[in-house]
Amino acid sequence: MFYPQAMTEVEMVVPAKDLLTITDALAGQGVFHQADGRYLGSKAEAGSWQETAMTYSTLERQILVAMQALGVVPDPPPQTEHASLIDIEMVRLLLNQIEEDVQTANEKLVGRKKRLEQLRSYLRQLEPIADLDLDIRALTKPEHIFSRLGVIPIANLERLQTSLARIPFVLLTLRQDTQKPVVWLAGAKQDADILDRAARSAYLDPLKIPPIHHGTPADVIASIHIAIERQQQRLVEQEAVISSLRELHAQQLQLLLWRVRVSRMLAGAISRFDKLRYTYLIVGWVPSDKLARFTQLIRKTSKETLIDTTPIKRETAKQDVPIALQGSGMLGAFQGLVTNYAQPRYEEIDPTLLMALTFPILFGAMFGDVGHGLVLALLGWLLASRKVQALHNLASLGSVISICGISATVFGFLYGSIFGNEHILPALWFNPMENIMQILIAAVGAGVVLLSLGLLLNMFNAWLARDWGRLVFDKNGLAGLVLYWSLLGLAVGLFTDMLTVPPVVLIIPTAIASLSVMLSEMLKHLIEGHRPLVEDGIGTYAIQAFFELFETLIGFLSNSLSYVRVGAFAVAHGGLSAVIFILAEMASPSRGIGYWTVLALGNLFIVGFEGLVVGIQTMRLEYYEFFCKFFTGGGKPYQPLTLHPSAKGPNEA
Amino acid sequence: MLLTPRGGISGYAYTHARVRAMYSTLLSPHQWAKLYDAADFDILTAMLKETGYAPYIMVRAAGRKPTPRWVIYQTKRRMADAYMTVFRSVPARNYSLLVQLYRRFEIDNLKAVLRGIETGASWDSVLYVLFPLGEATALPARTMLEGGSVPAAIEHLRRTPYYNTLSHALRRYTAEQSLFPLEVALDLSYWRTLWHEVNQLSRQDQAHALPIVGALLDMNNLMWAIRYREYHHLSEEEIINYTLPSGYRVRDEDIRAIAAGADIAQIVTKIYPELANVDALLREPESGLPALELQLQMQLAEQCRRAFIGYPFHIGIPLAYLVLTELESQDLTVIVEAKSAQMPAERFRSQLLMGNIAHP
Repeated sequence: MFYPQAMTEVEMVVPAKDLLTITDALAGQGVFHQADGRYLGSKAEAGSWQETAMTYSTLERQILVAMQALGVVPDPPPQTEHASLIDIEMVRLLLNQIEEDVQTANEKLVGRKKRLEQLRSYLRQLEPIADLDLDIRALTKPEHIFSRLGVIPIANLERLQTSLARIPFVLLTLRQDTQKPVVWLAGAKQDADILDRAARSAYLDPLKIPPIHHGTPADVIASIHIAIERQQQRLVEQEAVISSLRELHAQQLQLLLWRVRVSRMLAGAISRFDKLRYTYLIVGWVPSDKLARFTQLIRKTSKETLIDTTPIKRETAKQDVPIALQGSGMLGAFQGLVTNYAQPRYEEIDPTLLMALTFPILFGAMFGDVGHGLVLALLGWLLASRKVQALHNLASLGSVISICGISATVFGFLYGSIFGNEHILPALWFNPMENIMQILIAAVGAGVVLLSLGLLLNMFNAWLARDWGRLVFDKNGLAGLVLYWSLLGLAVGLFTDMLTVPPVVLIIPTAIASLSVMLSEMLKHLIEGHRPLVEDGIGTYAIQAFFELFETLIGFLSNSLSYVRVGAFAVAHGGLSAVIFILAEMASPSRGIGYWTVLALGNLFIVGFEGLVVGIQTMRLEYYEFFCKFFTGGGKPYQPLTLHPSAKGPNEA
Repeated sequence: MLLTPRGGISGYAYTHARVRAMYSTLLSPHQWAKLYDAADFDILTAMLKETGYAPYIMVRAAGRKPTPRWVIYQTKRRMADAYMTVFRSVPARNYSLLVQLYRRFEIDNLKAVLRGIETGASWDSVLYVLFPLGEATALPARTMLEGGSVPAAIEHLRRTPYYNTLSHALRRYTAEQSLFPLEVALDLSYWRTLWHEVNQLSRQDQAHALPIVGALLDMNNLMWAIRYREYHHLSEEEIINYTLPSGYRVRDEDIRAIAAGADIAQIVTKIYPELANVDALLREPESGLPALELQLQMQLAEQCRRAFIGYPFHIGIPLAYLVLTELESQDLTVIVEAKSAQMPAERFRSQLLMGNIAHP
């Protein structure tokens, strides 16, 4: 719970004859995170499997194209633990047959649609001149003038006029359109070259009616109407052909798609195996709690396969161990907030549980209100339940919002606040608005506890990593902790009479810890045996050391004071609610409908706006004041091989 | 996607903090000097591992040596990631300007795919030419390429902003069997939309975006006009129709004058009096035009750097940062290619932009 799942490194030497069955078993179990093992073996072998994977990839795309042409939507993959490489030639053969049917039918369909589109475009261009009593060829192929009837992108119209500024011309817009107006461009025959170049470069698309439609514009329009009716009828017939092809091939295409997709994935996995002379070397990781079942199944699949397992110790872990976080249910909801900051590393504490505990408490303390908290909890439940289609994208946040809402409700009881009214419920602790200093001091106190916890966790992580320099001398290590607490003690002694020891008892550790922080880099080098102890000269180092201490002191002060906002927001919540009540009274002193409307809207505003702001502030406190003390991150997510490529890995669940 | 709702101090506070932090990871003059002096490609790659590009260069699988093509691709991936990060931080109402700026890479990819279809190139050879847009693209590049024909490829773009433009220009492609009309139509539509987006901004944002987007648009418009006349020998009316009437410093009358055959050097000097040796540059257009473009890009880079001085809560900051990352990536491409070809430093130094600004 406090660490990413324990991992075991697995190395398998697989006889070539069992390669496919083992690969199938690895993917079928869905627990094996593969590492690239190609450092000893034959590149040519890997290359040939890569080519196979690419061939499957091409076939997969071809299947998808055929499915798209038939309007078949891919189904989710079937739930099975076994699959094998499908024969490429067989897929090609089947696909060729289907493609032949589909392609011809689809080309006909597209052709008919285009033809219909074209006929409608003719109509659009001819309708403005329907009343003209002359042969259409007088406009499209005149003998004595230059004439061009057609459509032009509207953005090019003005530019066309500009480009013809040096010659006389007529440019009439016959039909307005937001995209492609119908225009007629005319000019003298001797300027035909210029006019033609201008029209062409302005993308004026000329009307070219097939000779079958002739006569006056009205005759041509009537003839085109008949052609449109005929084309529509053909289109319906062709759609029926496509529909029958869909009935015939849909199931086969779905099956082929899944088999080819899995084969592509398996071939890709094999290309990353290392080929020895007669065997393959497969390297990867398996979660330790699943290792027994995993090895049992592999041995059952191939008795000759050698399996060597090495449990990965936290303290000696290399950076490439994949990280499977253990959060599930409510804890899983907070996991997303942690990975949003960084993926934990294998050897460090997974802060998800800490996040799940501290986040709702900080949020509730800032937003303490029984009514608002319950509304948030309800909203969170609604999001998590996925009952509202439009809010599906926010479903993963639902549980977090719900828990924060419950925490806000608990703090609401402690503060005695319900929908901003602080006179109905008795405060079980105290009312922030009436005890401002008390809430601010309590908030800073909580901050001191969290910061100290952060420093202790960093020391623990350093101890695990056997990083003694960081453990003792780091500003977030023992030296930092001693410095922080000594300074706190001195501050308490300065401002209160609660300090029972003489100040010198605190001054000595303060001085020693300050010196440690200042010289931390040099001391770390000393412990690690790194030479030279000081790089870039002693002068530069002295300046750096001074600023290191200065930054640490400023950091401690600002980090601690940052938590004042917890109290400040608790007070602000009361203040904002009071404003809503004043506005409601102003809207309707007699407490009529206006009063209740303003109250309802005001409370909605508080839940929405203040809830969001408090959420962001809580996130900020977690990330920048707490996490940065001990959490480095940079781990690689665990992504096991699976036969269900669309299924999510444990980290994404 | 996390989008702050509006502009001003509250809207841009996060943007500014975020972009400032990213701005500090751009290559420093010291780093440029080291890269420039790298003895060979391997050392250059090792040096890049000590810069902000480290996470992109270090991901190469154990035992696999980085190739120049791969390194260039990875530097572009960093640029794409920078765009994504900036997108998430800008106020929602100004988001579309940056998206439109980003579309330039999508259009370049689209052109590369269309050229790939024309030349019958394989997917592998086209892949590394493409800008790594990842999932931030609606372009089914591979399907388009494997379709094997330009009209079929355009059909795949039905749900994208490019379909209308391309399907209209397709008739010219069919008649002329050249990609030129398709590419020009795409460019014109892109720059018009970008200019429109700038004009939709609030007055304050517009004041900061105009110098940057305007400089970009001016540079492209002017260079097009000159190239159409000098290289393609197009007629006056064609040059006018293939260029834009809008601009920041370049006016419509300048473009029309170039189209009508006026002295180009005189016009460029009138627009950019601060540029040196324009006459000499334009006497040899083959080498002079790239040099002129480089000078304009240097001005653009300076303009972008100036955006970081003074009042910081505006769209100019993310915009300037994104343009600078692009210029940085462009320079890195030059250095990577030069070092891998073992080209002597003096042969490629003049083609560097950020590197030359960093240590003139």
